[in-house]
Amino acid sequence: MDYLVVLIPLLPLIAAAIIGFGHLFDKIKGREDEWITVGIAKAAIYVSCITAIALLFFDLLGQNSGAYSVGQWFASENLIVEINFITTGFSVVAAALFSIILVVITRFSVNYIHKESGFHRFFFTLSLFSSAMFSIVLSGNAAGTFIGWEIAGLCSYFLISFAYDRPVAAINATRVFVTNRIGDASFILGIGLSFFFIGTINWNELNATAELLTMPTATVISLCFVTAAFAKSAQLPFTPWLARAMEGPTPSSALFYGAVMIHSGVFLVILLRPIIEQAPLVMGLLVVVGLFTAIYSFIVGLTQTDVKSSICFAITGQIGLMFLECGLGLWELAMWHLCAHTIVRGYQVMTAPSLLHYVHGNPMKPVSSSMANNRWLYIASLQRFWLDPITDRALVRPIRGLGHDLDHFDKNIVDRAMGAPKSSGNAISSLNQLEQKILGTRPDYAREEFVRSNGVVGKLFEWIANGMSWFEERLVLRGIGADSVNIGQKLGRAANTFEQLILKPRYLVLFVFVVLMIAASI
Amino acid sequence: MGILSILLLTPLVGIVFLALTPSNKSTQIRFLANFFAAVAFLLSCYLVAIYNIGDGGLQFEEQYLLNPKLGTAFALGVDGLSLPMVVLATLLTSIALLASFNISNSVKGYHISILLLQFGMLGVFLSQDWALFYIFWELTLAPLFLLIGRWGGVKRHAASLNFVLYTMGGSIFMLISLFAISQYMPPHSGTLMSAMSEAAQLMPREEQVWVLLGFLIGFGVKMPIFPLHGWLPLAHVEAPSPVSILLSGILLKMGAYGMLRAVVMLPEATLMLQTLLVSLALIGIIYGGVLAWRQTDLKAMVAYSSVSHMGVIMLGIATLNQTGIFAAVLQMTAHGLVAGAMFLLVGLLYERTHTRNILDYSSLVKVMPRFALFMTVTLFAAMGLPGTIGFVAELHAFIGGYQQWGNLMMLMGVGVLIGAAYAMRTIGMLFTGPVKPQMREIEDLRVYELIAATVLVGAIMLFGLWPAPLIELSAETVTQMSNIISQRIQ
Repeated sequence: MDYLVVLIPLLPLIAAAIIGFGHLFDKIKGREDEWITVGIAKAAIYVSCITAIALLFFDLLGQNSGAYSVGQWFASENLIVEINFITTGFSVVAAALFSIILVVITRFSVNYIHKESGFHRFFFTLSLFSSAMFSIVLSGNAAGTFIGWEIAGLCSYFLISFAYDRPVAAINATRVFVTNRIGDASFILGIGLSFFFIGTINWNELNATAELLTMPTATVISLCFVTAAFAKSAQLPFTPWLARAMEGPTPSSALFYGAVMIHSGVFLVILLRPIIEQAPLVMGLLVVVGLFTAIYSFIVGLTQTDVKSSICFAITGQIGLMFLECGLGLWELAMWHLCAHTIVRGYQVMTAPSLLHYVHGNPMKPVSSSMANNRWLYIASLQRFWLDPITDRALVRPIRGLGHDLDHFDKNIVDRAMGAPKSSGNAISSLNQLEQKILGTRPDYAREEFVRSNGVVGKLFEWIANGMSWFEERLVLRGIGADSVNIGQKLGRAANTFEQLILKPRYLVLFVFVVLMIAASI
Repeated sequence: MGILSILLLTPLVGIVFLALTPSNKSTQIRFLANFFAAVAFLLSCYLVAIYNIGDGGLQFEEQYLLNPKLGTAFALGVDGLSLPMVVLATLLTSIALLASFNISNSVKGYHISILLLQFGMLGVFLSQDWALFYIFWELTLAPLFLLIGRWGGVKRHAASLNFVLYTMGGSIFMLISLFAISQYMPPHSGTLMSAMSEAAQLMPREEQVWVLLGFLIGFGVKMPIFPLHGWLPLAHVEAPSPVSILLSGILLKMGAYGMLRAVVMLPEATLMLQTLLVSLALIGIIYGGVLAWRQTDLKAMVAYSSVSHMGVIMLGIATLNQTGIFAAVLQMTAHGLVAGAMFLLVGLLYERTHTRNILDYSSLVKVMPRFALFMTVTLFAAMGLPGTIGFVAELHAFIGGYQQWGNLMMLMGVGVLIGAAYAMRTIGMLFTGPVKPQMREIEDLRVYELIAATVLVGAIMLFGLWPAPLIELSAETVTQMSNIISQRIQ
């Protein structure tokens, strides 16, 4: 029953395409069409969910062969990228679990987002995300997983900036996206290195050859993928992005950061277990990072005053523990932990807005006094260990400074030499132009302005263009085209005159005489 | 009767039906023309489905003797070179008909002319006999002359006359070349393409060069290559947009197609003229690009960009290696789709605003988001952005050219850069900037137009992301052609 796996990511993708194009072409719009969008999104995810559960069922019965290949996507010499899927083991369990969560959250969002502007946009992104998530957990090769990985990141960008007219939302979305790109870069590096060292990017083949790898090779490859996992699962030093990501609507927070996407890092580490086990250094790194993240999240979580933030640090803490378990070799435990955490946290984040209502009359326990009196720890916790300012100082500011300097160099030196591209808008810049505009005459210089360039290269290009344009006008269009017609007309008129002359009786008689004389002379 | 004859006869049957329909029933006429164009398209799709991609030679051959005295035959056949063109021809005819719903005067004549044009185009790509080829080649002129001269813009008479004179002038040279080759044929042996290319081997080298020059002028006018493109800007600007779609989408490819057949027939002469060919190609690429950059008229811009893109085909042919010829074949399809989509969209824009001056537009993305999407993807494909079909073709041309001439391909790079300059500027000027009052209420694409645009832009994206089927379709034939060439020029 391996072929079922294809449907799981495909259906939400089709749903996303229908909603997206329908919205673009104005076929689905406004409140009256909300039921269409909901119907499509729900139908797709329901069927996907049933399929995923069926796949799990068949896997438990032992009827799946382990991999299913749809065909080849592209090939270039030894690099062959297939469209293939994994159909056994933890991937299928994760897919079934995530699909159930996705069904619940999709249903939940119908009422939650109802009558908000961007309703269709939300469900488009949700469906696209579902497809991406299934692609992450089910894809049989690194390229497929990476596609899902990227699309999931993009969807999280869309949903954090769901209210894109709020500047804070847009800034946070960008920040989250850029932080995630660090992980993406290392993921792609990992793909490249696996191909370079092992010659394949198929997960099953990679894992099968893991034992033959030397330790440095395994270390380098797994380090790349583990870094990607840290970034996606918000481990140290990437943790701060998660708090910013809570900007989006609650269902999306539950989906991305509570239940599903945040776990894809742990999932990747579990998937690559055979390779990571060959690299003790990376196992150690998992332990250290997981442990520190858990401690960090615990301490910072103590001082949070709003529900979403405290949940957010609880999430990173739990996920840190999962990485710790992986690093210690307790893989089974990490898998159970992942599944249990997905369910509990998904519920918790979804109910977060009404949490105050539920805990009414049941106040939180105060922190133990020995910890509460530690003022330095308190300040550090409040400031979240200054991770954001540190990144700003260490990375953002130097890069911004470099950008500023390069921009200066570009504007003053390169642009002057090469010619800067003009702003494409032809806005009215002077009163004179406005007047002419009102009078309805297009200023002649608009045409000239259109073909004007600046800078050394630009001027050169302009002159060449002018020369070629003259050549075209004068020789090609007028020369061969019009002139040949004119000459033809003149020739035709001359021929006409000749014809008229020759048809006159006296010339005809003369002509006959000439012919006779020639004939006689022969 | 084979499948090719049926395909070829479909437009003719359509013409008969149209001729019998009273000219005031325009809905019926439109339906009939669209129906027969759709049937032809479906037939060509069926042809692709039953075509054997493992065989590079001619398939579905049919042959009936036409003139026993001369030995000319009604010979049809397709191979990996002509099959994509046949599909493109039927597809673009359907698209052009979908875009013709606003033609309101003498609807009947218009649709008959379009179907006649399709008949001629299909004949050119299907015929395997030079005499038949020449007949179909000339047959396309008549409907085009009418279409431009009757339904065109202000300067339509000059444009149609100019077009016909140029093409007739060119085809005389082609005819002379064909006669020159037939001198070396045994008497009464006909004019089959395969037979003629064997006869061409018997010719002395110098004579082959002259023959090739004749072909170069004949096909170069249609293609068009650099100094012979004088008819193109005028004809494209003046023709109604559906005709521009056919003109740039397929008519130009007829030149390239003929040129490829001629080069395979005369590889030694091509090798001798290689420098001339590559210079013409590179000049064409840059010259077309620069002039496209200078045009304020959108249609003229697209027309000059066609000159630039056809230069890429010429470059691919001139390399005489497998990758280069592949580039030419791919670019023929790529340009057919891109130029078709571009003229379609520009035509639709013109219908709504009645101006083609790029300076009049601004901020269209607010009122026409769908138009903006399609136009942007098409312009990206024109500049050869990865993910579009233009990239696949230009990359092959670049690799093929680099194998042959090395760093000379820098000039093609300059051409690509200029292409990016005018494409990006057009996107900027059409879609961004301050909102103009007269551009505030323009209708976005309607259903028929959406279908037409989606098909073309979808194909551009599909073959850009997944070019394998397109490549496999012509791979065997191109390998065979390049084998013939490399054997002969050694």
